[in-house]
Amino acid sequence: MAPRIGLKSLEKRRTLIDGVRSNLHVLAIGVKYFVNPRRMTLVYPKEYPRLSEGYRGFIILEKKKCISCAACARICPSAAMKMIRVMEPDPKHPEKPRMKQYPVINYQRCIFCGYCVDVCPTEALYHVNYHDVVYDNLAEMFWDLDTFQKEPEYKTALEGRPVRIMVHEELGLIKVPVGEGG
Amino acid sequence: MSLAEVAAAIIGWPPVWQVLVIGFLGSLVIAVLAVWFERKAAARVQRRLGPYWASPRLGGLLHLIADMVRYAFQYPIIPRTVDLIPFLAAPIAGMVIALLPLAVVPFTSNPAYWPLPPSAMEYSLLIALAIVTLPPIFIIAAGWASNNPFAVIGGVREAFIIVAYELIAILGFLGAAASTGTFNLVAIVEAQGGIMWLAILNPLAFLAAFIAIVMSTSAFPFEIPESEPEVVAGPFTEYSGLLYALNMGGAYMRRFALSIILALTFLGGWYPLVPGEGLLMGYILPSVVVVVKAVIVVLAISFLRAVYGRYRLDQALDLAWKILLPMALAGIALGLFEASIGLT
Ligand code: SF4
Ligand code: SF4
Repeated sequence: MAPRIGLKSLEKRRTLIDGVRSNLHVLAIGVKYFVNPRRMTLVYPKEYPRLSEGYRGFIILEKKKCISCAACARICPSAAMKMIRVMEPDPKHPEKPRMKQYPVINYQRCIFCGYCVDVCPTEALYHVNYHDVVYDNLAEMFWDLDTFQKEPEYKTALEGRPVRIMVHEELGLIKVPVGEGG
Repeated sequence: MSLAEVAAAIIGWPPVWQVLVIGFLGSLVIAVLAVWFERKAAARVQRRLGPYWASPRLGGLLHLIADMVRYAFQYPIIPRTVDLIPFLAAPIAGMVIALLPLAVVPFTSNPAYWPLPPSAMEYSLLIALAIVTLPPIFIIAAGWASNNPFAVIGGVREAFIIVAYELIAILGFLGAAASTGTFNLVAIVEAQGGIMWLAILNPLAFLAAFIAIVMSTSAFPFEIPESEPEVVAGPFTEYSGLLYALNMGGAYMRRFALSIILALTFLGGWYPLVPGEGLLMGYILPSVVVVVKAVIVVLAISFLRAVYGRYRLDQALDLAWKILLPMALAGIALGLFEASIGLT
């Protein structure tokens, strides 16, 4: 097959005028933003993003609803959730304690994928809508059964102001303050 | 004479005063201010906040002080492979020589406070420009003595840039001399008292000199020798702690010294103030005016960081040789033309 001959056009050479004009343009943009900055930095501990319901934050167990099916522990991709055995009074025969299994969670491993919440047949697990909780050491991130039933204290909310981050058509990202309610 | 009087006389001698107090102390303050402004301005333009948490009320100004303290107390690591004496001497000599132009520039028209005798004052612009060309050699020396590929490449880039901008800077400043017909900085400033600043009368030479200053102190968009993503820190790769701060400070001091020459030659020097008699009116206030103008130039250079990216070496050289050099020559021609029709 004979080689095909094609025409390739080069871009037009930029003239000196173009260069001067584009330099002035970029300087004008710089001055515009310098005079009227539209910052979108979130001053984090002072302002914090109010995340929507359904955000996959920390996972909490409602022990009453749990039927010990272990589906959560089996589906967990990072083996963060494990079943433990506890002795507790049997509701039918109060005098005889019985053995029951409950999940506990290791937040060193959890990747907040939410599979466990999705798979739970009785909705015994639920997410809270925050994520920024700080621990002093790794051992504290290993939750026992009691801790697993309490929502962790959200310290950021005590100091900071909640804002919602939205996309504005012209301004880009903007922060809208939200009231305490939502 | 007591010891204190002798010390006061030495410090008060204009060349020493100008280098030590205006130059060294002034440029320390200005370096902190300029770096802070650079970061804040870039943050404003790029829709960020910039330094903040160190002192929210001052807009993070103390952040820079903390940086300086950190540099001062950082453990300086000197690699075994470096050429020790040039490695140590280059940043120090570079910084000292960067300030030396201030020993020859006048800050007033009152002859009692000139740093040079009136006969030498005739050539003060030439002397200042001659000294200005010295420090870059120490940057190359620093890179060479570091014995590190990144440093050597950085030094070579600096050498390329020097060859380009040195000519432009000198021709640009000589545009002012052509306009006024003298090398005497005092006469150049006084020529601008009459009609107008040379920056307006001779914008070509002014722009050439300004861009040459930006190039020579490797500010954006010409931060090529120290370009971080390509050559780590260029000639200063092996430096740490105080020596690194000296290198960086040297660049700011050179920028400040060149800005003072620019303020004198193109921005009207001590005008609108007319120096009178006495220490205050004759020396201190005029020098404050000159320094304020120079600081504005330094801050304007810092602002460029916010909007420009970094040029490639070939783009910078292209700009220098193809556009700025003819522009500087045109500036001289314009200056001669203006002088011939008696505009200045
Ligand atoms: S969120 Fe995912 S990783 Fe975390 S415990 Fe549940 S299943 Fe495991
Ligand atoms: S999936 Fe739900 S019900 Fe089953 S063990 Fe886990 S928490 Fe309990």
